[in-house]
Amino acid sequence: MTHDLRLTTQLGSLFLDVHAEFANEMIVISGENGAGKSTLLRCIAGLEEVSGQICMHGQQWLDSSAGFVLPTEQRKLGFVWSEAVLLPWLTIEKNIILGVDEESLLWFEQLVEQLEIKHLLKRKPDVLSTGEAQRVSLARAIYRKPSILLLDEPFSAQAPDIRARLRQALQRLQKQLQIPIILVSHDVEDAKVLAQKHWRMREGKLMVSINRHSREDGNPYFESTGE
Amino acid sequence: MIDSLIISLQLALTTTVLLLLIGLPLAYILAFKSFKGRTVLEIIVALPLVLPPTVLGYYVLLMIAPDSMLGSAWNMLFDSSLAFSFSGMVFASVLYSLPFAVQPMQQAFRAIPKNWLELIKAQSLNIKHRLLKVILPASKGGILVAAALSFAHTIGEFGVVLMVGGSIPGETKVASIALFEMVEMQQQSEAWMLALILLALSFVMLSVVYSINRSALNMGAAK
Repeated sequence: MTHDLRLTTQLGSLFLDVHAEFANEMIVISGENGAGKSTLLRCIAGLEEVSGQICMHGQQWLDSSAGFVLPTEQRKLGFVWSEAVLLPWLTIEKNIILGVDEESLLWFEQLVEQLEIKHLLKRKPDVLSTGEAQRVSLARAIYRKPSILLLDEPFSAQAPDIRARLRQALQRLQKQLQIPIILVSHDVEDAKVLAQKHWRMREGKLMVSINRHSREDGNPYFESTGE
Repeated sequence: MIDSLIISLQLALTTTVLLLLIGLPLAYILAFKSFKGRTVLEIIVALPLVLPPTVLGYYVLLMIAPDSMLGSAWNMLFDSSLAFSFSGMVFASVLYSLPFAVQPMQQAFRAIPKNWLELIKAQSLNIKHRLLKVILPASKGGILVAAALSFAHTIGEFGVVLMVGGSIPGETKVASIALFEMVEMQQQSEAWMLALILLALSFVMLSVVYSINRSALNMGAAK
């Protein structure tokens, strides 16, 4: 299943120009500050008004030429902001299951184990470290089994050892859910370890899209499909 | 004196409960929805702030008169008159204190951080979860202020309740009207006592409002 993204729009001082196709794979976006990485995630999520077309899982999410916009609520996505967005009056457990009607205990247990937040479930967000809050945000976005996962610097506040384990966990979860995951990161290690596709952005434009395949000898090689 | 105080408290409590029920959806619509006629609706809600209470009282009297649509419907349903009754005073008080309930809630809704509102969309929260898990807890301060102001404002009503309720002892004579009549009849010590109780009540309600506002400000600073 391939997904299609064609966005061309002026957003404030940024001119966003992104044309890309991708599969159910892990995509890492890198680029300078202000290149439009986070804005691109927000556009895919429908949190910004944008012109163009988005087709996900064979379903039209956006077709501005026909005046069609699928509301964010109906896109069933998982979104993680660069700063954890948690509701301070809910426990961590309640934050994670927010909005999910059919709770699955097994899936919940598996997720909180993998993201190393099981010990935090009964606490409130105000006692969490930044890294812990980030992992809880990630768990909430994944728990609802989204059709796409959009992550804005999800590991930026993690200690190096946890960061490595989280990358592995995210890879396992991607395989299990079979969804596209688009992750914005400044960390080259994220691109090296996680990216099946690596997008580089500059001034709102998707400059390079690199597919990474494994050769028979096990060494990865890169193939440019962009400009 | 006690009777009029009890009527005032009953009126304030009933009005506050009704205003929260009516004001919440109204404030929600005004804060989050854009539609034609929104400004007109905002003006109508705010009108009692500038309208002389007697003008409002006059129009309410016309609306609930026995030969009016509302008055006759009420008469048919409950076999009683809405004019010069406790229910009529509640109706008038709800209209009169509407901005004191709607505006603090509307401001509180508008002050909800943008990313919490985006979270509602991203997590596809239905209207029930949207309200119970995010909007209402996030606006708790504004809702409490709305309740406190509605209560205090209703206690302090004079012109509207006098016009709509008359001053029927034990039925529609509220504390503020009782005080006026005490002064007229030179009952100085009773007037002094009642005025002091009303002053204390208003002071307590405003203390609640200010302490809620201060803690909301502190929370904002801590974010």
